[in-house]
Amino acid sequence: MTTHLASNRPDGETLKAFESDLNKIREETMAKVGDKDARYIRKVIRIQRGSDIVGRLSLVLGFFNPLFWIAGVALLALSKILDNMEIGHNVMHGQYDWMNDTHINSRKFDWDIWGDGESWKRYHNYEHHTYTNIIGKDRDYGYGLLRLSDDITWRPKNRFQFFTYLLLSSFFQFGIAYHEVAGERIFAGKPKKNSKLPISREELKKSFFGKIKKQVFKEYLFFPALAALISLPMFFAVLAGNLVAEFIRNLWTSSVIFCGHFTEDAHTFDEAECENETRGEWYYRQILGSSNFEGSRGFHILTGHLSCQIEHHLYPDVPAHHYIAMAKKVQAVCAQYNIPYNTGSFGQQYWTVVKRVAKYSFPTEEEQRIATN
Amino acid sequence: MNASSNGLMQQSWTWFSQALTQHDTFQGYFQPLIQMLAPQWSTDSYRAQIVDMRDEMDDMVTLVLKPKTGLIDRHWPTFQAGQFIELTVEKEGARTLRCFSISSSPAYYEKTGLIELSIRIQAQGRITPWIRQQLKIDSWVNISEAQGQFVLPKTRADDQNPEKYLFIAGGSGITPFRSMLQQLNSHENPLDIQLLYYSRNNQHVLFQQEFEQLAQEHAGLSITFIDGEESGFICTEHLQAYCSDYYLRTAFICGPSPMIQQARKVLAELKVAKEKINFEFFGAAPVEIENNTQSAVRFQASAKTVISEEGSVSTLLEQAENVGISPVSGCRIGVCHQCICKKKSGIVFNTRTQQYSDTGSEEIQLCISVAQGDVVLDL
Repeated sequence: MTTHLASNRPDGETLKAFESDLNKIREETMAKVGDKDARYIRKVIRIQRGSDIVGRLSLVLGFFNPLFWIAGVALLALSKILDNMEIGHNVMHGQYDWMNDTHINSRKFDWDIWGDGESWKRYHNYEHHTYTNIIGKDRDYGYGLLRLSDDITWRPKNRFQFFTYLLLSSFFQFGIAYHEVAGERIFAGKPKKNSKLPISREELKKSFFGKIKKQVFKEYLFFPALAALISLPMFFAVLAGNLVAEFIRNLWTSSVIFCGHFTEDAHTFDEAECENETRGEWYYRQILGSSNFEGSRGFHILTGHLSCQIEHHLYPDVPAHHYIAMAKKVQAVCAQYNIPYNTGSFGQQYWTVVKRVAKYSFPTEEEQRIATN
Repeated sequence: MNASSNGLMQQSWTWFSQALTQHDTFQGYFQPLIQMLAPQWSTDSYRAQIVDMRDEMDDMVTLVLKPKTGLIDRHWPTFQAGQFIELTVEKEGARTLRCFSISSSPAYYEKTGLIELSIRIQAQGRITPWIRQQLKIDSWVNISEAQGQFVLPKTRADDQNPEKYLFIAGGSGITPFRSMLQQLNSHENPLDIQLLYYSRNNQHVLFQQEFEQLAQEHAGLSITFIDGEESGFICTEHLQAYCSDYYLRTAFICGPSPMIQQARKVLAELKVAKEKINFEFFGAAPVEIENNTQSAVRFQASAKTVISEEGSVSTLLEQAENVGISPVSGCRIGVCHQCICKKKSGIVFNTRTQQYSDTGSEEIQLCISVAQGDVVLDL
């Protein structure tokens, strides 16, 4: 149910103090950003490159022993998860732009996934981070496929949405790639009115196919063909390994992301109420619309620190590995102002996502009454 | 192979690299791994090691650099006396770039494999004090190829009359001239050089002994040390007194920008042809800035310039859009990083962080940047 911000939100004075407390956490952290962060991200990139290279070699060694194949799949999945989450997502948010590095910056970086980085930056960094969980504005909310709130009218297709959800998770990289293309209705439907697309529709189409072509070439053609030089069946062994690695990455990334905004208590908002928000009001909405989950440091890294989705939404351009420390402070500030802070274990949070997807696949009682009458 | 098939090869190779590594070049993908073996290795610049650091004066330090040549390092091409390089250092994780004239000669580089940069420490600067205090001997930095047109024309071997030059140097603007003077030994033909060297005062004159020695060795070189405190800025009288045949000479000027402007004015008034006046704004752009100055923003790729009036607070994004350039942009509040653009030079004020940028080349967000003085953008 959409949260009525005006009636629930603390008064203006309180929100102002709240805003300055949250700003202070940002300033304290940014003062620390420097050499250590540069070394950190380079180290993560090295681990990613290492697991990419060793993983692909190991897949081929599966020719001698299938255990190598399994290790190869695991390493390749790790490489893709690190690349997409801790490196790609965060670098493309501009968290490391201050390093002034030719390759580690939001303008240049592209990730190892079907979705074109430029397209993702357009819709994610702007649409999703500005209009977080505003029904009708943030198309990340259910991706136009899932009904996750009763503010969205129930349609018969929602009856099968649990199946749709499983499909979306399995092919999540296609979802990421298709998101903007779908929003602009490039292939089907009437072109979007008041489109703010800064490139032409042709260019969008070209970059959409361009990136997918490259990925398909790499994962389903080039590396399998290279292995086929050893023996023909290896083509299929490597192809299968690449597909499984991509599948693992797809499931993992979609699960992490769903836990960030679609848990049971994550709120949704109405567009009109979010106009002319102050920074404090924006902070408040970001906290209500996001949820965290807990785990070990390695676990946080694998989520790209989106396990700290709340902090990510408050401070999208602070290097993400600071979020764990910031989360403690943010939680304390929220407690002080009596603002709900949604966190729990990954299992708990994920379970509420599953329940939510299932719950809203059914119409509300009223909708049911109308339907049966 | 002709040019177009070469281009096609290049395009295909880039596509292949992008497909396999999501980087425009394979080197880009491997860079972090290569850096494990070769610190500061980078795809877009050369590596050099700090061999020595000499304090020349209170506010002047000379870095002795050895450009690295080897298996994974491309050979650093040599330079012409008077040229400058971009020096990139990594300060607290951030790569920062500054331009410095090479103060040693090409002959010296050929002999020893070393180059020298003589750097003025700007008390308020962000980088130069750090270079002196934090940069350690044996540490690695990045350098660019030598650049700049502030060089002596090539002399013809059959020329009987020596070329005549007038050098006007102010303070640390002496550095490119030091390179040229050190190079004198290897010139086939003797040169006729008059150097007017302005210093703040006569107590501390950079490279004074060295220059006096050189003047003794070379009959064609004559140096006048001028105490700026006592005699003031360059003027017509100085020229007439210290270099009366200035009209026969090709002028080279280097020093602080007001000095350069003044020297150009004086020479112009004395009817010296424009083609005979060469000048170079040396080192880093000035760090001292005044708020609300008039500024010129140069959009280099679009070949457009915007002059903004005093007190104007439009962002670079607005200025670009006003002249019909539409950079990719998004939130316009500094969150989405879509309007990031390469700033080539100049200082901008970040309205979000309330901080001033560096003077060198770096990525900035157009929508929250306001030019402070002249700015050049790669847009």
